[in-house]
Amino acid sequence: MELLIYVVAGAANGCLYALMALGLVLIYKTQSFVPFVNGEFFAAGAFIGLLCFKSLGLPYWAALVAGILGGGLIGIIVERLTIRPIAESHHLSLVMVTAAASITLQGLARLQWGDDLYTFPSLFGAASISIFGAPIALQNLSIILVAAVLAGMFFLLFGFTPIGKKMRALSQNQIGAQIIGINTDGVRGVCWLLSGAIGGAAGVLAGPITLLYPDMGSGILMKGFAAAILGGLSSIPGSIVGGILIGILEVLTGAYLSSAIIEVSSFIIIMLVLLVRPTGLFGQKSVMRV
Amino acid sequence: MTTSIMLKLAAGVAIGAVLPFLTDDYTQYIVNICLVYIVSAVGLNLVLGYAGQLSFAHSAFMGIGAYATGVLMVKVGMAFLPALILGGVIAALVGLVVGLPAVRVRGLYLALVTIALMYAVSWVLLHWTDVTFGANGLNVPTPSVFGFTLATEHDRYLVVFPIAVAMVALAGMIVTSKLGRAFVMVRDIELAAACNGLNVMLVKAQAFAISAFFAGIAGGLFAVCVGFLVPHGFGLVSMITQFAMVLLGGLGSITGAIIGAVFISLLPELLRNAQWAQEIAYGVLMILVIVFMPNGIVGLLRQRGLLARTAMINPLTDKLPKTPSPSPAVPTSGVFFATAANRAGR
Repeated sequence: MELLIYVVAGAANGCLYALMALGLVLIYKTQSFVPFVNGEFFAAGAFIGLLCFKSLGLPYWAALVAGILGGGLIGIIVERLTIRPIAESHHLSLVMVTAAASITLQGLARLQWGDDLYTFPSLFGAASISIFGAPIALQNLSIILVAAVLAGMFFLLFGFTPIGKKMRALSQNQIGAQIIGINTDGVRGVCWLLSGAIGGAAGVLAGPITLLYPDMGSGILMKGFAAAILGGLSSIPGSIVGGILIGILEVLTGAYLSSAIIEVSSFIIIMLVLLVRPTGLFGQKSVMRV
Repeated sequence: MTTSIMLKLAAGVAIGAVLPFLTDDYTQYIVNICLVYIVSAVGLNLVLGYAGQLSFAHSAFMGIGAYATGVLMVKVGMAFLPALILGGVIAALVGLVVGLPAVRVRGLYLALVTIALMYAVSWVLLHWTDVTFGANGLNVPTPSVFGFTLATEHDRYLVVFPIAVAMVALAGMIVTSKLGRAFVMVRDIELAAACNGLNVMLVKAQAFAISAFFAGIAGGLFAVCVGFLVPHGFGLVSMITQFAMVLLGGLGSITGAIIGAVFISLLPELLRNAQWAQEIAYGVLMILVIVFMPNGIVGLLRQRGLLARTAMINPLTDKLPKTPSPSPAVPTSGVFFATAANRAGR
């Protein structure tokens, strides 16, 4: 009973981690580096959602759409200004340039919103429905549902559309993709658009269950990394499973062990997974070519 | 140690000897902080620029050194200098432990392990309240050396400056030694380093340990210069600041790390009391440097002929072939290996 409540609450958080991980894995697959800026897409989504929902009085679905569009737009801007000029450089420069973009965006958010904490009005209050006799918060269920729909749309896009096919080609062989006439810069731009949109969506979804502040993104970025690494960093289904697993594990450790451990649990997971099984649960074994 | 390093060191000592006569109390404090960051940035450049290992844990090592020095002085009652050295050694030992996984995980995965470690260290500093006083902060007592109490900023300079010079000289010795050349070779082409009989695992672990020692000493100096430590002082912001120093100055160059450290330490003085302005300035500066000036200030000076052109290469911009060329590999690879081995920053 109690366990079911914890698992659903954990899965709701986990869905958000999974969305973050999805954005990271998409960039990793097509550009072979992990971006450090996706936490800011999340924060941007949350703040844009807050602006639309609370200040403009729009319905929640419109706030969600606005968050998705806003996150995607920031994703494109980041790609055009920082990634594209040095797209062919070493992955270390790409990582550093995304870290720099992240700190710039945090500064811009702080300029606008200061150091205050903002709250997003709850959608359902404390309303819950009873499943097997356990009260399950509607808020959590709605997050799981919307995240599942978004992830499903992403799968369809990646697996069954022409642009998805180009992305897969790019992830298999960048030079090969160029040779057969794929506009690799354009496809990468679309990947950043999607990555930003997914991050923005996660931000709006997370709004009602978290506090909003300018550097709220760095915490969830680490959870996204942990989820992506647990799943193998190059596996899209793996990142979803990893995210949900981490969300549930976190809530369970918080409930049964100590709430102070929640904050570090994702870092411990990152370190343990990489030391014991460096390619994660679903990752392919990397072969060093000589 | 080559003569050019000797000359640069002598110039640095000359500037450092004159400086305290020109400063008031506050400016002297800024100078001391600059020196602390010089030590730390030079250490970060050893692991990042020379050995090519992406270590996000450098600020955590600095935190470990700072807290170790402070706690040893407060709780154990040690004198400043032994506490400082012990703090550096503790940081180096943690660095060694971090360096060992670098064999199994490399590149981005290593970056993620070190960033996870950085957060874990911040968490420990915050929650181990019996020792670190947690979020309340740790008050570091006024240090004394050989019976002299270092009460003013100028007094502290007399200790901080020689230590900083010694650490920079040590870094100069390391990069021109056999070990420094091993760092560069492991960075440029790990496989060739292993084929030439280098123990790659040991070299990486040494790089981490040495850079952590520099960070630890810098942390200990930071502790007595600032006098008050809080856990979040050694988190992501501190890390980004130090990366900005090394990138701005120029990767794989000690002079570059010094220039970058001085520049970036002075920047907050211009943008006082506004965290957003600092963040935007650091962020935009880093983006501009990475995109337009990938070899940093030192690279620019070298291009203009103001600094001696050396065989410094930037691990971020100079791409080495990922796979051997399809043409007969024997003569090319011979030349290639020789250049890779000779690429230590002289």
